[in-house]
Amino acid sequence: MTSTTDREAGQVGDVIELSLPVAADLLVVVRLTAAAVASRAEFNVEDIEDLRLAVDELCLPLVRSAPEGRLVLRFIRTADSVEITACVDGPEASGGPDAASHDPEDALSAQILDALVDEHGWDGTGSRCWLRKRRSSLPV
Amino acid sequence: MVEQTFEVNERRSGDGVPVIVVTGEIDVATAPALRECLQTTIDGGAARMVVDLLGVSFLDSTALGVLIGALKRCRELGGRLDLVLGEQRIVKVFEITGLTEVFTIFPTVDEALRA
Repeated sequence: MTSTTDREAGQVGDVIELSLPVAADLLVVVRLTAAAVASRAEFNVEDIEDLRLAVDELCLPLVRSAPEGRLVLRFIRTADSVEITACVDGPEASGGPDAASHDPEDALSAQILDALVDEHGWDGTGSRCWLRKRRSSLPV
Repeated sequence: MVEQTFEVNERRSGDGVPVIVVTGEIDVATAPALRECLQTTIDGGAARMVVDLLGVSFLDSTALGVLIGALKRCRELGGRLDLVLGEQRIVKVFEITGLTEVFTIFPTVDEALRA
């Protein structure tokens, strides 16, 4: 984990990058990292749990559609939020919303993300997904 | 943070109702084992069962999909699948997906078995 100086007003420069093999049993590492970043961003316990679930849901279509390659995540802590982007670096990399649209769990996943984070989506190519969750309140 | 090991086991109540006891985290890696256990129970002739999730510390949409699939099969066979939930963060996942209206949820296994 690295901490750099503020890049611009309101920005805190924690950028954590995580690269790991695409494997279902490694999503636990992604969740633990998200929880650690959320904790460092002073999220409360409920928001940390929300982010842990949200990042899991964010990565699911990538893990389901890419049998090999590397799952690459970037966690950015700003002054009042955590942003996470995820993509798969590999020959079978796809996994955009269209690729997973027939999965019956997709609607549930979208509902969960809608409820837990402030913004989420896919980039124009459908290969990279992202979310942003703001801190709901400062710790007492 | 120590992750609780995922486990799924079936036991029978005094009345012979299957109680599927799950502990740990249910995600895309562990959900297949839950699906297999539920499938085996249904294939064994049970259409009425209770799934005890009191020991579950995390579940995602993959787990919900498995539970919904088993619920549908039980109902098709004229039975029911009831859930036992304790942790608020687990209840919250069912609430935000509207599944508290789909599943019958109890706070204890005893209450589920009495229903």
